[in-house]
Amino acid sequence: MNKDNKYKVVLIEPSEIVAAGITQIINRNPEFSVVQTLSNPTYYNANNNDIDVIIINPTVIDYNERLDIRSYFGGTNSALVALAHSNYEESVLRQYDDCIGIYDNSARIIQKLKNAMEENAENPKSDINELSTRERDILKAVAKGKTNKEIADEFNISIYTVISHRRNISQKLGINSIPGLTVYELMN
Amino acid sequence: MSNNETIYNKRMKVADLLASDSSLLSILQRLDIKLGFGEATINELCSRYGISVELFLMICNIYSFHEYNPHIDTLDKNDIKSITTYLRASHRYYTTVCFPAIHEGIHTLVKELDEVSRKLIDKFYDDYDNEIINHFKYEEEVVFPYIEKLMENNRPNDTQYRIGQFEENHSNINEKLNDLKNIIAKYLDEGYSSPQRFELLNTIYSVENDLRKHSLIENKLLIPLVENLENSHE
Repeated sequence: MNKDNKYKVVLIEPSEIVAAGITQIINRNPEFSVVQTLSNPTYYNANNNDIDVIIINPTVIDYNERLDIRSYFGGTNSALVALAHSNYEESVLRQYDDCIGIYDNSARIIQKLKNAMEENAENPKSDINELSTRERDILKAVAKGKTNKEIADEFNISIYTVISHRRNISQKLGINSIPGLTVYELMN
Repeated sequence: MSNNETIYNKRMKVADLLASDSSLLSILQRLDIKLGFGEATINELCSRYGISVELFLMICNIYSFHEYNPHIDTLDKNDIKSITTYLRASHRYYTTVCFPAIHEGIHTLVKELDEVSRKLIDKFYDDYDNEIINHFKYEEEVVFPYIEKLMENNRPNDTQYRIGQFEENHSNINEKLNDLKNIIAKYLDEGYSSPQRFELLNTIYSVENDLRKHSLIENKLLIPLVENLENSHE
């Protein structure tokens, strides 16, 4: 979430009409904001760690790369959502946290973005075992002794999401106790 | 693997038992069994020390084979007493041998560290040490006396305590040791690499493994036996 407390979305879609339509639908929602629209994924900056969701039309990804979409984006921690104009193979769509269909209405699109973020926080698919920016921020808060509730309020996310993040942090570091996490945080 | 006699049996020589799994040596140590047992079999050794051979074999099997599930119906009430005696001896072994060894290793390691890391690790370990001591104390002062009262055939009236609660409270004492292990192996700066750091890590691995077996003895032997006893009092 950026300072306006909105989830940041990057849209990668070659059709100008579709891109404009989706952008308008998403920006009408108070929780999300499309911060960048690209026609080609090679323009995407993989070091951009504070993007919450990337929406991608699978056709823009080269056929050979479609089955390993997350490493295509540098092992990003952002949630990945497919924007499907047509039918794709199950194996292609499985790479994404959710899939928006071209006939979905706005409520459904927003719901799918939220699902994808929850899904992504729950099952990190990142190959890189580094902590994401969001995870680092949460770890700092944990080390300061904040409760899940306080962290949820501070970052404007659900307690459920905080718990998911904490589980992922512990999984990545191999450190489970709060004192252990505090030692890690203060030493690094 | 469920048959108690499949792996180790009482006719086996103690020396052969140790040859097949040297980590069992620490069981002899905590049972105060003296070295120099010559060609004694497990049966001979157990009767000499007044230890239930069935129970001794079960403990060895739990240590050596992680899929092993003991048949507790071959044990009786008297064995519960032997288990708590063993667990007390085990606590003593941890507090007089294992944790002092880790403490010593930490002490040597932190001398090399910058002040911030030194204080953090010292404090982390001291807190863990206290936690462990309290954990053992709780078992020895609350859990075991409760079990002993149950065995004297009088269900304590003054308490609603059930062994199931012990299982619930049986917080994972291994969690922080695991954290310490990862901090020392993965996150302390490479600059502080010394033979002592390796040795400390080695000690932590073996204590962690031993504590895991200790919990298994509680969960697979003690708790089910006491639950049976509780039910027989209903």
